[in-house]
Amino acid sequence: MTFLKVIQWVVWKDLITEIRSRETLSSMLFFAMIVILVFSFSFSMDQDAVRELIAGIIWVAFAFTGIIGLGKSFTVELHNDCLEYLQLSPAPKGAIYLGKMTANLLFMLTVEILLFPLFVLFFNLDVVEEIGLLLLIFFLATLGLSAVGTLFSALTVQIRAREVMLPVLLLPLAVPVMIAAVEATRGALNGAPLSLYSQWLELLIIFNVIFTVASFWLFELILDS
Amino acid sequence: MSLLPSINRFIRHIQRFKGWFGGAAALCLITGMYLGLITSPPDYYQGEIVRIMYVHVPLAHTALFGYTVLFVGSLWYLWKRDPLIDNMCHAAAGMSAAFTAVALVTGSIWAKPTWNTWWTWDPKLVSFAVLLMILAGYLMLRTMVEDPEQEGRYAAVLAIVGGLDLPIIYFAAEWWRTLHQPLSISLRGVSISGDILLPLSIMSIGFTLLFTYMLMIRTQMLYLVNLFDAKKGRLLSQVHLSKVGQ
Repeated sequence: MTFLKVIQWVVWKDLITEIRSRETLSSMLFFAMIVILVFSFSFSMDQDAVRELIAGIIWVAFAFTGIIGLGKSFTVELHNDCLEYLQLSPAPKGAIYLGKMTANLLFMLTVEILLFPLFVLFFNLDVVEEIGLLLLIFFLATLGLSAVGTLFSALTVQIRAREVMLPVLLLPLAVPVMIAAVEATRGALNGAPLSLYSQWLELLIIFNVIFTVASFWLFELILDS
Repeated sequence: MSLLPSINRFIRHIQRFKGWFGGAAALCLITGMYLGLITSPPDYYQGEIVRIMYVHVPLAHTALFGYTVLFVGSLWYLWKRDPLIDNMCHAAAGMSAAFTAVALVTGSIWAKPTWNTWWTWDPKLVSFAVLLMILAGYLMLRTMVEDPEQEGRYAAVLAIVGGLDLPIIYFAAEWWRTLHQPLSISLRGVSISGDILLPLSIMSIGFTLLFTYMLMIRTQMLYLVNLFDAKKGRLLSQVHLSKVGQ
């Protein structure tokens, strides 16, 4: 099998499993809705406060939801020893990583795209003009979370206390992604000129390149046992 | 392959001189303390408060030195898979975490009178707080894996990803907001006077030597613990086998 075929098959396998069970997406969606509700109860915000805080709220919800999805990405492989088959498979481990990462990216983006209208609705945002830019920010930041997250999901699934260890290891490393995503989203939502926050998009691109390449090489060490 | 025994032998060889490192560290720290606390002048703006700098700045330098040791050691471990290097990484992470924590505390004490706040979201503070979290995660991860070889491999992966991430965290936080006083020693030259720089450098050297000394002791200790566990395992399995034989 060629490299690209492996990636395609891993993504296909994850999507098919998800379409049949609907486990990951539904748990992510419900969790995220609860997070949005909790945030709207905990802050009684006027429109100025919303403009200041909404970007942070969006990304806290997205990051926590993403962690649920990332954790599930490899725990599902524990059933029927699928993880061992992935380890034994002669397919290049880097291709398995890229496949898993793409699948995680798709799940997280799907949830984000489904959730965003709820934010618009509950917090009364106007986003008509910046929607393309926002989607680009969501894509870049989610790619960053997924690049590091997939590596650590594969790592934590093979150790004790995996549900605790994934956020403990992932969130500190995702600090630059979070800062950049929140700042860029705030800029876009407040209608600031792109030049004021384009540096955050550059930072996200740099982060994505470094960590996709690094995780691609390191993944072999994680899956090898 | 020829490099592997030599680095191992080098570590074992240098271990014999660890007392010298400890002695030199004590000498440097005592001299540095004397110069810093007694003979150096108080700062024009900050007065006597500035003297905490002689502890805070060297501690922060040493914490970063510790992470550098951890980063290089992790790469080395993944290359050569030498358990002794793994012990060294484990030791470096623990002590780097301790130095980071003390640097954060002393920084906080210094920040209260000078910036009038215990904590602020400044790039260096953010980076050190994240560094502490990464190291805490690293040490937690170490306790969660059964197999020593797997433990070393996973820990090394985390240390490398963290090491790549730290500069990005710093730049992200710097763009985010900045308040910290600029570095006094940089590529553009030194911007502080000699009677402050001298004790500061001596303290930095002293803490680095202290770190090295502690690193040696801790590495040796972890190595012996691993050896003991392996022997204990072998003994237990022998006892078990003899019982099965009866």
